[in-house]
Amino acid sequence: MTAKKENAKRLGIFLLIVSLFVLLYFVFIKPMNESNTVFFIIYYCLFSFSPAIASLITRAVTKEGFRDMKLHLNLSGNLKWYLLAFGLPLIFFSVRILLPVIISGHSSWLRGFTFQKVLATVFMLASLTAVQSIGLLGEELGWRGYMNQKMEPLFGTFVTCLIGGIVWSLWHLPMDMAGWLDGECTLSYSLMMCGGRLLLLTCFGTFLMWLTKKTDSVFPAVVAHFMFNQSQGAWGELLAQGNIPENADLGMISSVFEYATMILLVVVFIGLLLREKKKSPKTA
Amino acid sequence: MTGLVYKEWKQNRWFILSMIPCGFAPLLALLLLREQITSADNIALRIGGLIAGFLAAGALQLLVLRGDDHKLWGYWITATADGYKGFLRVKYEMIFGMIVLFLFSLQFVDMGYCAVAADMKSKDIGSISSIALLLGFTQILFRAIDIPFTYRFGSKKGSIIKLICMVTLAIILGAVLIFSTEHIDHIIDTAKDLFRENSSLILSVGLVLCLALYYLSYRITCRLYLKGVEQYDS
Repeated sequence: MTAKKENAKRLGIFLLIVSLFVLLYFVFIKPMNESNTVFFIIYYCLFSFSPAIASLITRAVTKEGFRDMKLHLNLSGNLKWYLLAFGLPLIFFSVRILLPVIISGHSSWLRGFTFQKVLATVFMLASLTAVQSIGLLGEELGWRGYMNQKMEPLFGTFVTCLIGGIVWSLWHLPMDMAGWLDGECTLSYSLMMCGGRLLLLTCFGTFLMWLTKKTDSVFPAVVAHFMFNQSQGAWGELLAQGNIPENADLGMISSVFEYATMILLVVVFIGLLLREKKKSPKTA
Repeated sequence: MTGLVYKEWKQNRWFILSMIPCGFAPLLALLLLREQITSADNIALRIGGLIAGFLAAGALQLLVLRGDDHKLWGYWITATADGYKGFLRVKYEMIFGMIVLFLFSLQFVDMGYCAVAADMKSKDIGSISSIALLLGFTQILFRAIDIPFTYRFGSKKGSIIKLICMVTLAIILGAVLIFSTEHIDHIIDTAKDLFRENSSLILSVGLVLCLALYYLSYRITCRLYLKGVEQYDS
């Protein structure tokens, strides 16, 4: 079997296992709503680790072995990339959330953003990143540590970013659709959420892919993913301390910043990925 | 570096993996003392179990430092490509990893307990994860103190010297407190006011400081290691 066919087979098995976990989530959506225990078992014990579990099963089934899992920290020489992994999501969400508020003249909404509170939040995020981000290894070991590695030789860098992002966001589908399936929101709202996530994760995925390739480790991606999840919440918490009217709408400017930041992120990191690919020696 | 990671894993894998059962300590405390359970969340018992798990995990983390305090090993590792700095780095990373694993296990088990208990009692159960987090950082701080002593003086002598230092420090602090009884109320009030106004900032700075001290401890150990090697086996 050629290397490409072997890669395609491994990728197929990996995606099949991951989709089985997604199916499992859909099957148990009702019992999960009724019982905390079922939710804990299905979501926390199985689903949140499913990409890592799928990569390990695939490695075992295809007899690929467990080498090159990118589990070394590779701290020396890469500390700056770890710092970028910590700082970029924070900056990304600051620009996305805070800049439109300031530019549209609603600075009074940012009453919660005192120097002291922002500093405390950043320090808290830094310390939490060091000890709690490890849980996201359950995702990154699968997505960046396995799936992207198999996809890139098959589809090239650009398409890997695209398909990888789509797969990553489709994996979140049960969470997005849960509201509609429970009858808490409309289908159009759920689909809109899916679309938003698809766009955001595809864009952010390029940064995570670049980080993993640059450092040859999944840990910077783990840090960036953790910060991606936490910084939204942290800024949201500070925003909630300001007196924002319930029907607040910034209109066009909000959308501009929402999409401009994503486009900038994609352009920069796709560019860097392609540049590094050009630089790397070609193998037969 | 891979070789050093492999060596540490082969030598200490049971200690590393033992961090997972240590996370079950609050659950074990509930099982052992089930007759004393009075309320659904059993917060006091769970915190007791958490502290027991914290102490057990701390003792196991110290055990991975044993066995390396030999002159021959010290000379040999210094002569390798990674050098003693690489060896110490892997050791520090491993112990940090053990603390993270312990914390992860503890919080995961607690989450599971809260889910099951909430189903049984149909109400939300208080989590002890935030206390576990603080204890985790305390553990990082303790290891930052322990490791330099162990590598400078060897594991046995190091623990005795550390104990002497701690007792001396406690005596000095006690003496300071005794001689400043007039101001003690004022100091406590000032500290209370300061903490009330800036609690989140003080807490977050404290946590980052623990991490910074852990790194500083690594740098100090690197400086002291060769001096320590000269004294091993004597």
